Amino acid sequence: MSAAGIVVAGLRKRYGAVLALDGMSFSVRPGVVTGFVGPNGAGKSTTMRVILGLDAVDEGTALINGKPYRGLRRPLNHVGSLLDAAALHPGRTGRAHLLWLARSQGLAARRVDHVIELVGLASVARRRAGGYSLGMRQRLGIAAALLGDPSVVMLDEPFNGMDPDGIVWMRGFLRSLAAQGRAVLVSSHLMSEMQDTAGHLVVAGRGRAIADAAVADLIAAASGDRVAVRTPAVPHARSVLTYAGATVASTRENDGITVSGLPADRIVTLLGRSGVPFSEVSAHRATLEDAYLELTREAVEFRAVTPTEVSR
Amino acid sequence: MTAALHAEWTKLRTVAGPLWLLLGAIAATVALSAATASVVTCGSAGCGGDTARLSLIGVQLGQAPVAVLAVLVIGGEYGTGMIRTTLTATPRRVTALTAKAVTLTGVVVAAGTVAVLGSLLAGRLILPARGFTDAHGHPALSLADGPTLRAAAGSILYLALIALLSLGVATILRDSATGIGVVLGLLYLFPVLAQVIGDPHWQRLVQRAGPGAGLAVQATTGVRGLPIGPWAGLGVTAGWAAAALVAAALFLHNRDA
Repeated sequence: MSAAGIVVAGLRKRYGAVLALDGMSFSVRPGVVTGFVGPNGAGKSTTMRVILGLDAVDEGTALINGKPYRGLRRPLNHVGSLLDAAALHPGRTGRAHLLWLARSQGLAARRVDHVIELVGLASVARRRAGGYSLGMRQRLGIAAALLGDPSVVMLDEPFNGMDPDGIVWMRGFLRSLAAQGRAVLVSSHLMSEMQDTAGHLVVAGRGRAIADAAVADLIAAASGDRVAVRTPAVPHARSVLTYAGATVASTRENDGITVSGLPADRIVTLLGRSGVPFSEVSAHRATLEDAYLELTREAVEFRAVTPTEVSR
Repeated sequence: MTAALHAEWTKLRTVAGPLWLLLGAIAATVALSAATASVVTCGSAGCGGDTARLSLIGVQLGQAPVAVLAVLVIGGEYGTGMIRTTLTATPRRVTALTAKAVTLTGVVVAAGTVAVLGSLLAGRLILPARGFTDAHGHPALSLADGPTLRAAAGSILYLALIALLSLGVATILRDSATGIGVVLGLLYLFPVLAQVIGDPHWQRLVQRAGPGAGLAVQATTGVRGLPIGPWAGLGVTAGWAAAALVAAALFLHNRDA
């Protein structure tokens, strides 16, 4: 097993009666953006704090390039992180915030100006951070994460508060960090962002990783072998395909059905031979959102409660 | 450690608050000292009194902005969540706290020196006009005088110890407002408490036990009659500061950030 990147193994942590982490294990490899997703309370933020040595665990280990965070000398040169973009003194300028961080690692002020350029904050760097929009604070946080040119980058919800331009920039930026050979862990609740950005996905639920797979594999698994068919003659098509051994399900549109158990070309042949008109036969492709919802259905902690539960 | 110190110094000098609080501490100290010196009188018959202590009375007011600054040094970071960034940059938490303590001590000693010398100078200039003259047994205040030097240096040390006590309390409480309340309460309630206690034994005990006991170091005359001696008093304040810092280090080290 390679030690590069982040390796989290069997993290367990209890806060009073709440089991925040229950055997959380996964790894983040260099050269790929790993998305870290899951419902509220799944343990994403706790896991990130544990990786950074901020929270202690009851059991398990979290290693960065083979070492625990607290054992790293000048840690920002190994791991750059952004947990909370709002965690700034509002009266300090963006540049001064980066400057004290640079000083804490023995880095030159030159690095500060470099990362300011990198995230596109040069025009506001000498203004007080209290006046920054959330999107600007996110960029400042990214700049802070990159100060030490680290091989591991970990960002908690970096898309939060970003305008559409910022989101496009962030996606490309994250991919470029991975392309430079860095291990990148990004938590997000925006599945669509992960689909465009992450190559690998860790899905957290109830304090553990309930999926840890390449994004392409997750989508393929959620898509199954289903085929979407659009036809004005739904009952006729249904009987023809069921007779041929397929399972047919209705869709929300009344001229569509979803067929499983038969490949698309076979469906075209069967419908054509039986004279059933159809306007579309296509492989059903799940979105990452579908895959995610399927995986987390069991693990969602905060479901809507029924009135009886409330009144109890 | 050097890097952590450099970082803390950069933090202090890149926001306006600390400078204003230090200037406030100097202004409050000198102003109260000068004002007090201006209202006392020594008649032709001569008078008792401790002119060094009188001239340094402003320290009792100047300690408040010092305490506020020290609480904010870490309480402000808990308020914004920046403490996590600090501890991510310096994962050795005792090192992080030590860096804060050293930087804070440095700036408080610098400001305290200005405040104390300013107060003594004000006393030296104002008191003779109020009748505190050589003829009445009050030579002009001078640092060449041993007890006066002790009062001056001791007052600076006292301010530094109050800063460290406040830093420790704020680290334990993790909140600026509560921290300021607790520290100011400790500094100003003990003397009030001592006043309202009827029993002389308990009164002396309270006067000796509070963190403000260190102000005894300002005494230059009648030392024997004080509830606690000059250095012993400063020792009590040092004990408070040390206890607060040790507890703070333990909490910081063992708690989740």
